[in-house]
This record gives sequence, C-alpha cells and structure tokens, in this order.
Amino acid sequence: MFWEQLDGSLLPLVRTPGATLQVTVYEFLIAFVVLGGLAIIPQSLFYLGFILRNLWRNKIRTALTGFATIVLVLVVTLVWTVLVFLANVTSEKANNLKAIVTERWQIPSQMPYSYAARLTEGAPREAGDVRIDSANDAMTWAFFGGTLDPQNRTRENSLFFFVMEPDRFLTMMDGIDEMSPADVERIRAAIAVMEKDVTQVMVGHDKLVAMGKKVGESMKISGLNYQGIDLECTICCELPEGRYGQAAVMPRERLNRALDEYERKNRKAHPLAAKCLNLVWLRVPDTKAFQQVERQITTSAEFKSPAVKIETASSGVAGFLDAYKDMLWGLQWILVPFILATMSLIIAMAISISVRERRKEIAVLKVLGFRPAQILILVLGEALMVGGVCGIIGSAGTIAYFNLYLGGFKFPIAFFPAFLIPNEALWWGPAIGLGTALIGSLTPSLSACNIRVSEVFSRIS
Amino acid sequence: MIPIVRVTNLTKSFSRGSEKIQVLDNLVLEVPKGQFLALMGPSGSGKTTLLNLIAGLDSPTSGSIVVGDQEIGAMSESQLARWRTRHVGFIFQFYHLLPVLTAYENVELPLLLLPLSASERKRQVLTALDLVGLSDRMNHRPGQLSGGQQQRVGIARAMVTDPDLIVADEPTGDLDSKSAEEILNLLVELKRSLEKTIIMVTHDPKAALYAERVLHLEKGRLVQEVFNPPSSRLAGSIA
Repeated sequence: MFWEQLDGSLLPLVRTPGATLQVTVYEFLIAFVVLGGLAIIPQSLFYLGFILRNLWRNKIRTALTGFATIVLVLVVTLVWTVLVFLANVTSEKANNLKAIVTERWQIPSQMPYSYAARLTEGAPREAGDVRIDSANDAMTWAFFGGTLDPQNRTRENSLFFFVMEPDRFLTMMDGIDEMSPADVERIRAAIAVMEKDVTQVMVGHDKLVAMGKKVGESMKISGLNYQGIDLECTICCELPEGRYGQAAVMPRERLNRALDEYERKNRKAHPLAAKCLNLVWLRVPDTKAFQQVERQITTSAEFKSPAVKIETASSGVAGFLDAYKDMLWGLQWILVPFILATMSLIIAMAISISVRERRKEIAVLKVLGFRPAQILILVLGEALMVGGVCGIIGSAGTIAYFNLYLGGFKFPIAFFPAFLIPNEALWWGPAIGLGTALIGSLTPSLSACNIRVSEVFSRIS
Repeated sequence: MIPIVRVTNLTKSFSRGSEKIQVLDNLVLEVPKGQFLALMGPSGSGKTTLLNLIAGLDSPTSGSIVVGDQEIGAMSESQLARWRTRHVGFIFQFYHLLPVLTAYENVELPLLLLPLSASERKRQVLTALDLVGLSDRMNHRPGQLSGGQQQRVGIARAMVTDPDLIVADEPTGDLDSKSAEEILNLLVELKRSLEKTIIMVTHDPKAALYAERVLHLEKGRLVQEVFNPPSSRLAGSIA
C-alpha cells in the first residue's frame, strides 16, 4: 500500500538554487519577488492555475476590475507623460546649454534683424569674452503665419512657419534624435535644396494631409502676421509625424528678401521689417560660459532699444509654463493621487467581495493544512495578477494607441503640439497596477488569512 | 489497545457579551488506534466542538488533547496547520470541494503542502480515487458529480495524505439513504483494510450503527457509551 511509503524524509526536497548577479535595484526587486515567490511556494504552477481559475470564476467582475485598471493606468500614463516631459524641459542642464535671447519688455518678442549678427556671436567686446560659433551654435527665429485662402481662412488651410537658417534644423532643434535615420537623411537632402533655392519649404505630415498638399507641389501663402506679404513656395520635404507634424520651415533668407521686395514695391518698409527677429538661440558649453555671455549681451550698448534678455531654454520654458502652474500642480497632486486611490478602492472592493463569497473555501483550505501565509499569497496573487496584467495592457496599449496611431498625446499646453508617451511608461503600468493592487488587497487578504475555521463551519452547521 | 486520542479534563467555553457559554465541561476521552467512533447528541451538545478540538481546528479553554504523541492544545496556528496536513483527514457534511478544481485536483490539494514530486502526487491521487471508485470521474468538476460522488471525492481527499485520524462531521447528513449507505460502508472498509481511526459526528442512530463505539454527549458531558456488537455493524443497511 502506498500509504506505508509516505515518509517525508525519503522524498526529495525542492530547493531554489541561489545566484550571484550584478543587477540594478529595480531588477533586484523583480528577481526578489519572483524567486521569493518560487521559493515560498513549491507548487507555483498549481497556485498560478488556481489563481487564474478563481479569477475566471466570476468573469464579469474580473473583466470590470481589469477594465477599470486599464483605463486608470491610461489616464495616469498620459498625465505622467506630460509632467515628465515638462520636468525634463524645465530642468537645468549643467553642460551644452541652450540659451534664448528675446526682447526684454514685450511679448511677443520682436527685435530688429540688425541684432542678429552680434547676438549670434554672443556679443563679445573684449579679448577673453566668450565668442559663440555663429555658424554652428546659433540660430535666429521668426514666425510667419499664413494661409492658402485669405478670403476663407480655416484651421486646415492655415500654417505656421519657423523662419530659420535651414541647416540649423538638424543641429539645433529638439527631438531630432526621435526621428528615424531615413527621415533625418531626407531632411538633410531637403536642407541642401533649400539653401540653393529659398522658395523651397518643409511642411509637417499632418499639415500636408490637412491642406491636401504633397511634396513637389507649389502653393501661395498669404501672410497673416506679415500682412501684405504673399509667398510662392514649393514643398520639398515632408516633416515626419510627431513633434513637427503640424509645423513648417522656411529659409530665413526668404523672409528677408520678401521684406526687401515689399519696401521696393511700396516705397516704405513693412511694419514688421524692423521687428522680424523673434528669438535667437545660442548653444553654450556650460553654466559658466552662459553667465559670461549673459553679461556680454545684457551690458552691451548695442541692444538697448529695444532691450533684450537672455535665459536658458529650461528657465524660458518654465517661465512660459507659469501660467499653467496651478493646473499642473492639480494634475500631479490631486488628479493622480485620486486616480491611484480609486484604483486601490476598486481592487479592494472586488477582492473583498471575492473573499466574502469564498470564506467557506478558504476555511476548507485552512482545514487541509494551508497556512495563513499561503492563503495570503493566494488572495494577494489574484489582486496582483489583475493589477499587473492590466497594468501592462494599459501602458502598452497607451503607447501603441497614442504613439503609433495618433502620433502622440495632443494635450493643449504651451507650444508643445503633442507628447510622445516615453518607453519608460512600459513599466509605469505594471508598477501602478501592482502597487495599487497590493495596497487595495492587503486588508481583504489579511482578513482571509485570519478566517476562523470553527466559526465558518459552526455557521454552516 | 494504544489510544491515538487522549482527551483529559477538556473544557471549552465561549463568551457572548457578558454571558459565558460552557460547550464542553471537563471531558475525558480515549480513542484507541483503529477504532470507528461515533459521537451523537442533540444540537448544542458539543459534539462538533469536540471534533474540531481533536482535529486541531480550535483550541481548548483548558485541559489537554494528545493525538498520537503530540499535545495539540499548545500548538500555534501554523504548527497546527502543518500537523493537520500529515495527521488528520477531514470529511465534511457538505463535501466542501473547491468548485473550480476537478475531482483529481481537489484530491491533490493536501499533497501540495508536502514535499512530493509530481509523479508521486499523481500516484497517490490515482490510488485514492481508485479506492473510492471514482477513477473514471477524476476530470469532472464537483458540479458535474452527484452528492454521493462528491462525498467520495471528499473521502479520497481526506485519505490521500495517509493520515492517522479521520474526522467526519455528519458525512451522510446531506445524502439520500442509498448514497449514505455507500459512504458508511466505504468508511467501514477504510477502517478495516487500512486500520484508520475514524471519529464521526452524526445525528442519525442508523449511521451510528456502523461505528464500533458510540458516545452520547449532552450539555458538554459524556452521558452514555455504547459498544455496537459486530452483528449490527455488518447489517449493511440503514434504510
């Protein structure tokens, strides 16, 4: 009879082999949880199957809990995407700083183009002053808003040009590293064309679609801010979707020539002719160099009327975002905690109901010899399974839908057209799901492992 | 005969508000190894409480319970859980099989707590199911089995770890007379062939006839002890 052979000492014990690894704290925590779980639970696969079957038992409740988790992970991921992006652009860098020169007392900034030559050098006056390499580390900005149909102007037929030195698009602009190598090569070729022929322009993918235009087609743009200036342009390149999907780029020389022509035709300068330099960007190697350039520019007599100011890009953006300060604070400290608390409550309710329904079964497990810690793992496992799996689905789905399908999260804040969900969001979802599931299921799990068997069965009797 | 269960001066009381309810009162009992004992008595007489205490599901207010060579009254909850896995098999009135698991998996449950290989577990589960005559239903879920079949799965689950002691709380209370008879005959057979000690709580005097010894409890005290003659135990029918 096999009963007589049941001697635990003769049976092999399952042990988890240890391993020494050099890992990050994050990897260590994952390994700790997984290996710990496997070591504590010798029959891990059985437990996994048992957890899945218990979740499958009430499909509607599991589906609703999972769906709520996915939706809330999506919302938190979107909010964090915006907050993380803004935190990145407003955090001061120590090296390779971008400085922005603007008019000191007026918004929008409108400086004379005559400032450009000296500002792009950093306005050095004496030996020992910092001199910016204006051919590589500086660029001028103007903004030209125009429309294809001035009589019937719509959002679709209007576009907004960045007027700049074309070659700086790839060396000074942000987000170039997010483009594919093929896109970068296409843009490089287009820049070469624009430098030879100033009527050539680049237009973003989304804007081209909205206007119904294609690369190679010509168009006449009637100026909106530069009233009376109409420009014949040929589209030489499509900027990829994403950050520049709605934008357009025109050579600086094109606007300068148009202003000259306006003066020739009308025998007077255009009203914006002396105000056609909106910004100057400078790249400086470090904070010390920035402070020196700041001193050179702000103390120079060349830039007194109008006066100019210089600030780092991050502080410039931060200043611009001041208007949104309260809203961002609310997103970070009210909306996100509220959503996380809601997720925990939803999971807590689902697990509490499940535990209440299964008191008898949990009591049977205890009778059979399951220890409180094992019951705790079983109940926690259900919550963590829902939270973790739905967290992964939520974040992966958010990335796929917003980045691949919509071309980014279009949140109307400041001058950022769309926010791409960062790849880091792939772990935000499971982390949010697991964290809220753990918090939410702790109380019902503890109540499950504290069920008194004799009480449960005396009620049944 | 060597007693497998020794209960000495056992008292169990509960508090309900300021009221103290004495369920077991200074009870003394010995159950020899291999005996089939029936506990009878009216509702509230303390028979299920006594069963729970002997099985380590509850702790006594005072007194001692020794099962085998273990004093279980002083064990912690975790120690009791480990002890139950190896030494006690339970049979419930309402079977209490887990509805999401098949008959095979229900029987396998207690073995998951022991350091056995998968093939060892499989062998034991199949033997236990064969013993109760349900090998052909091992992939059925409880909802697909009759009451009698579910109780037989419950018995297989109780037997699968080869425990010293089997406790059964009204094992035939939810069954028709034919199924009840089958279950009681199965218990008698387990006792006879495997020399298991069985303690069964029952309200049914006919079911008690299958036991060798019947104890009557009233108000937490043993009031009567009856030894059934072999002829009554072999009657083979409770109809």
